[in-house]
Amino acid sequence: MKKIKLLALSALILLFSACDSDDSTDDPQTFGTFEVKFDNVVGSEPMSLEAEGSDNYKYSTASGEAFNLSKFGYYISKIKLAGPNGEAYEDEMNVSANADEVKGYYHVLESETSSQFLNLKNVPAGTYNKITFTVGIAEDGVQEGAAGGVLDPAEGAWFWNWNAGYIGFSMEGGAENSGQERVEGDGWVIPENSFDLHIGGWKEVSPGAGEDQKFVNNVKTITLDFDANIRVAENLEPAAHIVVDALKILDGVNIDFSSTYSVHVPILGQPFADYIPEAFILDHTHQ
Amino acid sequence: MSLFRKYAYPALCWVCIFIAFSCSDDNETEPDDTYVFKEPANFPASTYTFDNNPVTKEGFELGRKLFFDPLLSKDGSVSCNNCHIQGTAFADSQQHPLSVGVDNRLGIRNAPPLTNLAFMQEFFWDGGVTHLDFVAINAIEAEFELDETLENVVKKLNQHEEYPALFEKAFGIDKITSPYMLQSLSQFMVMMVSANSRYDKFVRQEGETLTTEELEGLDLFDAKCSGCHSGALFSDFSYRNNGINDTFIDQGRALISAFEGDIGKFRVPGLRNVALTAPYMHNARFKTLKAVLDHYDEGMVDSPTLDPSFRTGGRLGIELEEDEKEKIIAFLRTLTDREFTTDKRFMNP
Repeated sequence: MKKIKLLALSALILLFSACDSDDSTDDPQTFGTFEVKFDNVVGSEPMSLEAEGSDNYKYSTASGEAFNLSKFGYYISKIKLAGPNGEAYEDEMNVSANADEVKGYYHVLESETSSQFLNLKNVPAGTYNKITFTVGIAEDGVQEGAAGGVLDPAEGAWFWNWNAGYIGFSMEGGAENSGQERVEGDGWVIPENSFDLHIGGWKEVSPGAGEDQKFVNNVKTITLDFDANIRVAENLEPAAHIVVDALKILDGVNIDFSSTYSVHVPILGQPFADYIPEAFILDHTHQ
Repeated sequence: MSLFRKYAYPALCWVCIFIAFSCSDDNETEPDDTYVFKEPANFPASTYTFDNNPVTKEGFELGRKLFFDPLLSKDGSVSCNNCHIQGTAFADSQQHPLSVGVDNRLGIRNAPPLTNLAFMQEFFWDGGVTHLDFVAINAIEAEFELDETLENVVKKLNQHEEYPALFEKAFGIDKITSPYMLQSLSQFMVMMVSANSRYDKFVRQEGETLTTEELEGLDLFDAKCSGCHSGALFSDFSYRNNGINDTFIDQGRALISAFEGDIGKFRVPGLRNVALTAPYMHNARFKTLKAVLDHYDEGMVDSPTLDPSFRTGGRLGIELEEDEKEKIIAFLRTLTDREFTTDKRFMNP
């Protein structure tokens, strides 16, 4: 009992002293916004999409593979901000059938400019110097069941039916050297020389002693340091610009489109996923 | 304050009297639990996310309507019910060893029964789907099943004469979206609890008895089969190669786990209503329970991923005498739940 009293007392002291130190900088009762902008690029060039099947191969990998992109995007989730004095913000996360109640999941698409701006609200006023986020949808986003909004497969969510879960990162396009032949189905076509790189898989099963790895978890969590201390307060509009470089992934795996043009299972996506953390680069911040 | 006393107290009394009377009404007539999900006493805990999707009468009935509606298929020709029939515990009819989809396209696997899904963690023969809500997407979009897109199903539902009002009633929504459609199907499917076989009533000591042959069959089953077909659902839900092939056109669990050691492994199926769900195995290899037991006894084919439990007897398989097979089959027949297969709630109204 004494111990508990002591604990309670010290907690109180801590609480008051914490308030004291905050008073000197920002009022702990106030909140501000923080904008995260994702800017997709291909090496030193800005990204622009071509129509599916286009043979205008305007980009090139380090090894000289000419290619273009017709679709590019990823899911961002679990955004957190942290500051040098213990400031911490966690974006609210929720999965629901009701699209309005789906929180903290963002489907960033090159084809949709508005999707590239993530506006975090109710960030406690203070100083922040790093951001952490997840690329992909982890187990807790899948296992709540059918979800709406950006997680609704009938409204453009990237979902794998046969191996239930979301595609976390996707690149589609065409490459001069692609081994893909034209395939025509009932109401759909896979164009010649196209490629689909779908990176998904969320199951995390650690192998026991002497066992081989089963399943592949391609969900990646990334922390980026800011280039400055950024203040969040009621009257400010701070922002971080993150560049996402497709070439970091394609060059990372040293892609040969003649043999690698159709990636639709977690294990084939794994080499690509391993370079996802390198593809997300903090470019600059705005105070 | 006095005004409050003057009016509020008598009003409160009336409320109390009303509550008391309504309670006594309830005691006379059983509360309607037709649409309440119940865990049978002899079952494990359910796994379904009921917090996100509680079962209601409206949601259940909507799910049932969708289950029987060929609108879910590309050309309006096939419903869930085509391959999942109540009389066979929502497995396929015996005339369809492999599923038959739109344009009579032949599937690659035998449709499993849809029973006790609320207690399962993984679905399909390879366990690739990990939540019941997502099961229907796979069936709707598979080319050899309903061959329709989820997007188009939602569009057709929104344009339908009856569905918008039914979704409004069930979920309070004015525009139908896919998660609500999937949730209503789940509400229908989680209620498919089969727990009233003679065996269940026997183990729950509800006055049912088993014959000597059936009891001997149960003992034999416990000794020879329950290593895999364990627990109240008669499966440990692991993935095993039970020696029906040595080459694998269908890689089974390895398709999901990406692990070479899983090639040719399929989920150990539960055995409730097993006497109704012929043919057996993922590829519908065996037409009768006798053929299944003959296989375990002397038909097993060796391959690198064959389950080690079939290698323990100095020869492949599980040694079974002919009379033992008969007894095991007699026991397996006690797992047939006719209350379930004739339950009016699951019929197309």
